[in-house]
Amino acid sequence: MSLLELNNISKIYGDLKALDNVSLSVDTGEWVAIMGPSGSGKSTMMNIIGCMDKPTSGAVLLDGKDISKESAKSLTAIRRDKIGLIFQQFHLVNYLTAVENVMVAQYYHSMPDEKEALEALERVGLADRAKHLPSQLSGGEQQRVCIARALINYPEIVLADEPTGNLDEANENIVLDIFKQLHKDGTTLVVVTHDPEVGEVAQRTITLEHGRIVKDALNANFKEA
Amino acid sequence: MTKRKMFLRMITASLVRRRSRMLVALLAIAVGATILSGLVTIYYDVPRQMGAQFRNYGANMIFLAASNEARFDLDTVRRGVACIDAEELVGVAPYRYETVRIHEQPILAAGTDLDGAKATSPYWHIDGEWPSARYEVLVGQETAEFLGLKTGDVFNATWSSGEEEEDVLNLGVDMKVAGILETGGSEEEYLYMSLSDMEELAGETEKLDVVELSVSASADELKAYEQDIEANVPDIAPRLVKRVTESESTVLTKLQSLVFLVTAVVLVLTMICVATTMTAVVTERRKEIGLRKSLGASDGSIIWEFMGEGLLLGGVGGILGSILGFAFAQFVSVHVFSSSITYQPALLPVTILVSVLVTGLACLLPVRSATEVDPALVLKGE
Ligand SMILES: Nc1ncnc2c1ncn2[C@@H]1O[C@H](COP(=O)(O)OP(=O)(O)OP(=O)(O)O)[C@@H](O)[C@H]1O
Ligand SMILES: [Mg+2]
Repeated sequence: MSLLELNNISKIYGDLKALDNVSLSVDTGEWVAIMGPSGSGKSTMMNIIGCMDKPTSGAVLLDGKDISKESAKSLTAIRRDKIGLIFQQFHLVNYLTAVENVMVAQYYHSMPDEKEALEALERVGLADRAKHLPSQLSGGEQQRVCIARALINYPEIVLADEPTGNLDEANENIVLDIFKQLHKDGTTLVVVTHDPEVGEVAQRTITLEHGRIVKDALNANFKEA
Repeated sequence: MTKRKMFLRMITASLVRRRSRMLVALLAIAVGATILSGLVTIYYDVPRQMGAQFRNYGANMIFLAASNEARFDLDTVRRGVACIDAEELVGVAPYRYETVRIHEQPILAAGTDLDGAKATSPYWHIDGEWPSARYEVLVGQETAEFLGLKTGDVFNATWSSGEEEEDVLNLGVDMKVAGILETGGSEEEYLYMSLSDMEELAGETEKLDVVELSVSASADELKAYEQDIEANVPDIAPRLVKRVTESESTVLTKLQSLVFLVTAVVLVLTMICVATTMTAVVTERRKEIGLRKSLGASDGSIIWEFMGEGLLLGGVGGILGSILGFAFAQFVSVHVFSSSITYQPALLPVTILVSVLVTGLACLLPVRSATEVDPALVLKGE
């Protein structure tokens, strides 16, 4: 059984079909890149997978359970327990330090544990920046804090929407190396990107156009780290 | 780390590290709390303050003899006075009235304790001096005009020692006008002398007609004293001077309702200010709210985090306000009533509680709107 399954989902805004009858399944441990031109429905799809939005029609199965009809309250609970989100704009709480930002995710999930949060920061190479506020961190460092936060509760699936969109080459590589490590550790990764370089390193690439999947291929160049 | 610790860490970080924003709200609460605790302090102190002011308008209690013919003596008066708290007793003036003849005219003379009269009737205006020596007197303005007397004049006064006109008149004594008394009232018809002079000249001691008292107490306390004296000293019929006590309590009631009204208005304004600030804060932090929701925060935890910040602000504002409020009340008291006030320790928890309540109430709507944030929308890139 696959971890995630989209069955004929559509998302319709007025007369615009942001997603048009999309079906897709992702297995545990897979690393999937979602590509496509702007407006093709990538973020819409991510929001639906990430339980931030509901499809107009179709079913979304996470762990075999249909979440497309769940209430907002139980979607919140699913987000908390199963999903790690990484955003293009980082979205850190600006008055909390790096380690506190990681602890916020623990706080909503279970119990804040500063030691564990510090270890997570260490894994993304930020042990020495733990007590800094977001404004005192570079964009790359902020994104790594976000990654540490997304991973802290061991989510079943990590979703990243343009995680390198605001980063330079060097920081992009740092983030991709972290992703490689995550994949190696067995984390399921779904990454939306414009950037072919980011798409290439994934195991499988799905291309969207006008809300439809036009290509779904395994990456020939993919090599396990 | 427990969840509660993290909760406190988050809300204090929000307040401490985002100082400028929350300062506005804090200021509003502190000002509200200052006015609240200041005015309430004054509210409770005003009766005392005003009581002292009102004592300038004369006696508010008198003792009469319980039976019609009888006059009472100083010892009875002392027993009556003993019923009144010495701290509250501003002055006691016993009066004995006799008729004297001056220039062949019958004039009403009052013998009194002149210091007591000075204390009970601070409004008396003396043209000249208060009598200080034997046979010195105050002459009421009207009588002085009638007799053609001026300050410093010496005149001869005679007494009839018995009831009958024909009784042997004494030779009279020469008395000196120490001052002319102006009050605008019936006091101007009298001649005032010390009780000892009168007793010496009219004979018989310790025969008093009336005692005037000035007591710094509320209308209710005065009533209690009246009943107390009536019960314990049967020779005395105590009476309250209604004109004085009633106008005193009317003014107090009006003043207190004014203070109450102002406090209520200030609290409402504080609430509006806090609500406005909190609404701005929630709007400003939509992204953060969306993020917290995306991390799995329930509506309940969002509400509690913002409420927590609000209530913490309310508490800190309340503490600040009760300190500043005392300073404010002290300032008003010194400048308006020229006397200092005592701190009411009970006011500290009350002020804090009210600030917290008002802030909590003000936060209700803004915080509710925080739960309506859609994380998918606010987290979308711009
Ligand atoms: N809340 C919304 N209301 C109306 N239309 C929307 C809404 N969200 C997205 N859309 C529309 O749906 C389409 C797909 O949007 P989506 O954000 O998924 O694109 P995208 O592939 O992520 O694009 P980009 O690469 O620019 O981020 C767009 O045409 C967009 O205008
Ligand atoms: Mg997008």
